[in-house]
Amino acid sequence: MKTKKAPLTPEQRWKMTRRRFLIGTGSLGVLAVGGYFGINEGRPAMVDAIEKSGASRGGKMPAPNLWFELKPDNSMVFYAPKFEMGQGIHSALAQIAAEELEVDWKQLTVRQADSSKGFDPNIMFTGGSTSVQDLFTPLRTAAATMREMLRLEAAKQLSVGANEIVALRGECFARQDMSKKLSYGQIVAAKQTEWEIPKTAPNLKARKAFTSIGLNAPRVDVRAKLLGQAVYGYDARVPDMLYGAVARPPRYGATLKNASAGDASNQPGVKQVVIDLKANFAGVVADTRTRAREALKFLNLEWDGGTSMGQAEIEQLVTARDGIGVVIKKRGNTDANILTGTQVSGEYRTPFAAHAHLEPLNAMAHVQATKIELWVPTQSTSSDIRGVQDMVGGEKREIVVYPMQMGGSFGRKGAQSAALEAVRLSNAVGKPVHVGWTREEDIQHGFFRPPSHTKLRGSLSSDGRINALDQVTASGDILFSVIPIPEPIKNLIGFDFGVLSGLFSPYDIANYRVRSHRVKLPIPTGTWRGLGIFPNTFALESFMDEMAFAAKTDPLDFRLKHVPNTEDGTRLKRVLEDVKTRSDWATPPESGRARGVAFSSLGKTLVAQVAEVSIFENRIVVHRVTVSIDAGLVVNPANAALQAKGSVVMGLSSTLLEKLTVKDGMVEQANFKAYPLLTLKQTPPRIDVNFLEGGDTPYGMGEPAIGPIGAAVANAVFALTQKRIRDLPLEL
Amino acid sequence: MLKLEINQRSWDVPDFQADEMLVWVLRDTLGLTGTRFGCGVGVCGSCNVLINGVPTRSCQTPTADAVGKKIITLEGLAKGTGENIKLHPVQAAFLENPLQCCWCMSGHIMNAVALLEQNPNPNAPQIDSAMNENYCRCGGYNTIRKNVTRAAEIAGGRS
Repeated sequence: MKTKKAPLTPEQRWKMTRRRFLIGTGSLGVLAVGGYFGINEGRPAMVDAIEKSGASRGGKMPAPNLWFELKPDNSMVFYAPKFEMGQGIHSALAQIAAEELEVDWKQLTVRQADSSKGFDPNIMFTGGSTSVQDLFTPLRTAAATMREMLRLEAAKQLSVGANEIVALRGECFARQDMSKKLSYGQIVAAKQTEWEIPKTAPNLKARKAFTSIGLNAPRVDVRAKLLGQAVYGYDARVPDMLYGAVARPPRYGATLKNASAGDASNQPGVKQVVIDLKANFAGVVADTRTRAREALKFLNLEWDGGTSMGQAEIEQLVTARDGIGVVIKKRGNTDANILTGTQVSGEYRTPFAAHAHLEPLNAMAHVQATKIELWVPTQSTSSDIRGVQDMVGGEKREIVVYPMQMGGSFGRKGAQSAALEAVRLSNAVGKPVHVGWTREEDIQHGFFRPPSHTKLRGSLSSDGRINALDQVTASGDILFSVIPIPEPIKNLIGFDFGVLSGLFSPYDIANYRVRSHRVKLPIPTGTWRGLGIFPNTFALESFMDEMAFAAKTDPLDFRLKHVPNTEDGTRLKRVLEDVKTRSDWATPPESGRARGVAFSSLGKTLVAQVAEVSIFENRIVVHRVTVSIDAGLVVNPANAALQAKGSVVMGLSSTLLEKLTVKDGMVEQANFKAYPLLTLKQTPPRIDVNFLEGGDTPYGMGEPAIGPIGAAVANAVFALTQKRIRDLPLEL
Repeated sequence: MLKLEINQRSWDVPDFQADEMLVWVLRDTLGLTGTRFGCGVGVCGSCNVLINGVPTRSCQTPTADAVGKKIITLEGLAKGTGENIKLHPVQAAFLENPLQCCWCMSGHIMNAVALLEQNPNPNAPQIDSAMNENYCRCGGYNTIRKNVTRAAEIAGGRS
């Protein structure tokens, strides 16, 4: 039975937090301070109770997942609990830590935390634009605690009062006599007794005192990548490793009815053929990848069942109609007002899309007698760990996870990794096995951004304002396919949480209703950068333009006219006004061009974009995109701008080119010849990003800017041609 | 044994790999993982290496075809080792303005190195033409445009 606990007072909270720090001094005189992030509040308390009962002593506390080590030679290592996939997170976290540690960020060596250094594979996750915002305070607290410990110890060693010691640039000075100073390393080297965590919470620096946060510090991971020394998942190598390849079904959901090795076992280089009908698994281990893949062709496989669905059927299923779906927002009385005044309606469709990260899915596993080692490029290992535990049954083997550098991910490497395949093959052959997918496997046998269909109806009153808005969205699953919720509960909830991203109109509309209709497709769908934000914003913000046109009002002014009188509304107005100014909205573009505007938000981050387009040889050309963002406090503006620009380019690729279609139960496009991505020449040479900083804390940056681009371009095309395109990709 | 000349060094490759695509021999057999695999059909360009100075898709090149030719990979661009390593001007430009995940970076760098060998001061349309054939899913195309110009400056001794 769970009882509801009273909220913790600040003192209680700190006590608990204090209990959750771990210090190690070690024989080498290393000071290590760690903090916790993401661990259930109840867990340390439980550990506490076990320790008090005398059942065990120490060692039972979960290792902290934020972790600093300081050595007498003044070298300092930060073990980062987040995975690097190109977003520069290790650099941003180093900057945040350096701020409170009072060291130059360059003094911090950043290493990826793994199972031996505070990495808990059951909880660690990188995604949803959460890393910086979630870690901002826990990381600073851990760093400031370490700084305080050093400062207090320096006071003792220098025989001055604690208040007299100033920590700055990796040294502690006596305020009155600056010649009295010790480097952090010297303090650690001279420490004679056990370190103690201070009894009071450290003071965190005020924003105006920041010197590291807000700096365009260079990325810590790039030099190794430039020299070919960085190790991504696909690059993982250990002695005696072998290569695996896995057979794929011809239709989604097909099961392996019969399978035998056939001539595959006799192919050159083949070490073992692994077949498990119950798991629908047939794979080959060989001495090279090429030989493993070639041998697959010689397996005798009989696939059964699965879906035979085609594109038309899918689009019919994914159709928003009046009256279907779960009402998830309701304001005023939409039914009573929707058929009044000037009425506008539109239906918008977005297709299946691939993540197309350029490093295909892969993993290496080494199953040994007492442990299983996994090298995986991953956004979340918890699903892998569960799967591995299920696969090895009751056998108690330690699972060690090495999270690898990722060559992009965009939501794909958060679930269904190749780790289980590598484990199965390594378990059979008794050696480390690397499974690297081909591009065809990666596009056809992963999961997709689900197709969506949105039906919108609006009514305008005589003053040109929106009186009512009725929105029905149909979408395949996004989060329901990756989070372990039983199907009956999903049906009870009735809508997928992932659809919520970018779903609600931010404007002041008196009568507003949103329905979401969950479509369970036999085609695998899941998380894609920003979840629902890209499809939802395309529909909502295209329709906003349609209503502006009906109201005979400039589309940007029409949006400003509907800014709500709230704090969020004030922030919305700021980004809209900023993008209006910086896109030269009031000045007509050169002849043959037109501009379109769109807005979206994700969490507390707000993004407005203006796209400037022309038509050349019946193709849409985007010349310039202006982006205004309020992402709160920005830790590294240069990296954050890259996230925004990259989001625009990826979103533009979906806007202009990308569409997967299904035929006979399988995605038809298998590689980039049939599924081209945006190229350099198709990329607008000008993508200008401006951050409107607000508040003292950061919001998310990895996804929000992908939201508006589809509608911004569609609206610009309408302004140029008076032709409204309501399906993605945009076709003239 | 097949003899390959990679980064001015001789490497042995078992004869049975003569028909395997060069990208896998470089990465898996020889451990030169700076060359990336992306699509296997010659579209994305992540696997570009220089063969006799020409940017070439190593996923479309049977290993036997590379015998007797000079192969340069990402690992062979910088001069010196350890503390004294000197980056190639194109690498130096990409260090100043990095791409994001950088999986595709090696392929772009190979294109840029070849372009600057032929044309030390390319203009914007020349850069666009030379660099257009490779994908960057993180969307760093404008960084790539800028870095080619910057690399030309660095190579020309302009800071």
